[in-house]
Amino acid sequence: MNDRSNQPETVLHVGDVRKVYGNHVALDGVSLDVARGEVVAIIGPSGSGKSTLLRSINQLEVPDSGTLRVLGENIDFSSRVSASQLLGLRRKVGMVFQSFNLFPHMSVLRNVSFPQERVLGRSRAEADSVSRDLLERVGLAAKADSYPQKCSGGQQQRVAIARALALEPEIMLFDEPTSALDPELGLEVLAVMRQLANAGMTMIVVTHEIHFAAEVADRLIVMADGRILESGVPQQVLESPQTERTKKFLSAITDR
Amino acid sequence: MELLTEWLSWSPRLLEGLWVSVQVTLLALLIGVPLGLGLAVLSGVRNRAVKWIVIVYVEIGRGMPAIVMLQMVYFGLPDVGIVLTSYSATVVALALTTSAYTSEIIRAGLRAVPEGELEAAAALGLKQWDTLRYIVAPQGLRIALPTLLGFSILILQVSSLAFTLGLPELLSQAYSIGAATFKYLSVLTLAGVMYLIITVPGGWLVEGFEKRMSKHLA
Amino acid sequence: MMELFLKILVAVPTTLLVTLASFALGAVIALPLVAARRSRFMLVRGVGKAIIDVLRGVPPIVFIFVIFFGIGADLIRWEPLPAAILGLGLISAGHLSEIYRGGLMSVHAGQYEASAALGLTGTATFAQVIGPQAFRVAIPGMVTWLISLLKDSSIVSTIGVVEIMFVANQSARSSADGLMPFVIAGAVYIALGTPLAVLSRWLEKKLSFGRSA
Repeated sequence: MNDRSNQPETVLHVGDVRKVYGNHVALDGVSLDVARGEVVAIIGPSGSGKSTLLRSINQLEVPDSGTLRVLGENIDFSSRVSASQLLGLRRKVGMVFQSFNLFPHMSVLRNVSFPQERVLGRSRAEADSVSRDLLERVGLAAKADSYPQKCSGGQQQRVAIARALALEPEIMLFDEPTSALDPELGLEVLAVMRQLANAGMTMIVVTHEIHFAAEVADRLIVMADGRILESGVPQQVLESPQTERTKKFLSAITDR
Repeated sequence: MELLTEWLSWSPRLLEGLWVSVQVTLLALLIGVPLGLGLAVLSGVRNRAVKWIVIVYVEIGRGMPAIVMLQMVYFGLPDVGIVLTSYSATVVALALTTSAYTSEIIRAGLRAVPEGELEAAAALGLKQWDTLRYIVAPQGLRIALPTLLGFSILILQVSSLAFTLGLPELLSQAYSIGAATFKYLSVLTLAGVMYLIITVPGGWLVEGFEKRMSKHLA
Repeated sequence: MMELFLKILVAVPTTLLVTLASFALGAVIALPLVAARRSRFMLVRGVGKAIIDVLRGVPPIVFIFVIFFGIGADLIRWEPLPAAILGLGLISAGHLSEIYRGGLMSVHAGQYEASAALGLTGTATFAQVIGPQAFRVAIPGMVTWLISLLKDSSIVSTIGVVEIMFVANQSARSSADGLMPFVIAGAVYIALGTPLAVLSRWLEKKLSFGRSA
């Protein structure tokens, strides 16, 4: 029994994923396993393939080859992914985007409730009550009836997190969630993410926030040229990087 | 003074004609705009054959002058066994033209919905149909609304070409009064004024919409 | 059918003549209209706007009837062709003036200020600085109007100008085949309009790239 608790269940497995755009290799055989409750931060220069990797996990990007297993759902990219498989996969995985992507014609509350009604088949009353709880948790209960345009970027991103959480995903993906925000507003969002990590959510975060990665992540991955350069405990990776490439990248971003 | 009494005495007949013009315009829009929406949606499907059929239909519908469309439906279709009254021929021809033009207008509106929202919808696990219905269509149609309204005004103008089918719309009424009284200039001017009473405020409305919209987007 | 096609083909030059002549006429008459629309005096602006609204708000066929049957019967005798060119030319002026205005409005206010700061005269500012930039923006719209005008020129068949539509209509009435003449006429209009549409799309792309660069 003790053995099992030391080796938590793997909820996500990415196997040898490749993606080529024209003559640019975006992902050059990336493999990754993520355990339940683990928080993985991915850093790397732009064009390193980190966003492509993240977007491949919920199929916004379709790799050319490789395998993906998300909680028992098996996908082989060399063959066609069926629509039902796709929907099954996406129900287990939530995603937060750099540019929030709220629906501007819906109030904050509707943004969070509407997907629950369509995807989970919840009634409006049920969905609204879930939404209000979640908005409370991200500190935006008062904004429920506002429209996204009336919210700050930080507020919008927190709504987007609530919207994804409302569908009860088992894994949350964050694609540079604070890159479009002023530093103070980014902190609001990071606070919510920290809270979520503490609550045991499995998270994969593509980010430039080294401090956040160091404090919150269980594992830090450094990517470049479509490959994983380093992977390990954040402190270790940051303090004693194994490759020249990582050293250069880290000194470039810590200099700023 | 004489002009005024003249105009007053012609007005009932001209208004009757205007009512016919408005009727065929509204019916054509009622049929043509949903058809245009359907075409706009179809033009987005992956199937190449469907895409090409839509493109060819739209290009023919937009490339052909409305008067050719009208006369083809009214004078031409009886040859293949389809006989329509001038009224229904007008509605059919204008609806065809409307569907081709509005499909492009609506398509532009749908495409103006940001890519990121589509990705968000996909990531949330929304089905394509739900994404179209609840995310893309409401926003896209709103973006297209001023242009659609402007086009509707244009179709009222185009309905005057049904004169060539003998439909008793505004221009036909004016022309036949002219033929009977030889006061072509006066009666045709009055007909023009009647069109203006609808088209000019309509144009202001479109401008107002556009201004409001651009403020919203800014 | 070949005979029918040739008959319609013979009418193509007339269609092109009506289209191009009324476009040229409109392009010139649009200049004073847009000047009026941007005048310092409110009254002039109002009159300019009213004229443009009338030119754009009355259906083209009504406009042409007013000129041909109205003015034609009461004041001067017209031949169909000049009446057609005048009518479509005036309508074009209404539309083109709005297209010019859009071009002028797209020129940044800083350009006027810079010209003034350089000591350029009003005429020089307009001819050398503002005009060329505005024209560039207006070109795609002008081509789009030319395409509409090509199609709209078909309505002058109703006053007896022997162009494509007139021949099609006559052939349909006089022969057993009522459908084919219109199919051919439609195809000819599309064949004439397509290169213009391609040109307009190309210009739009090219000119907008030029601006962003």
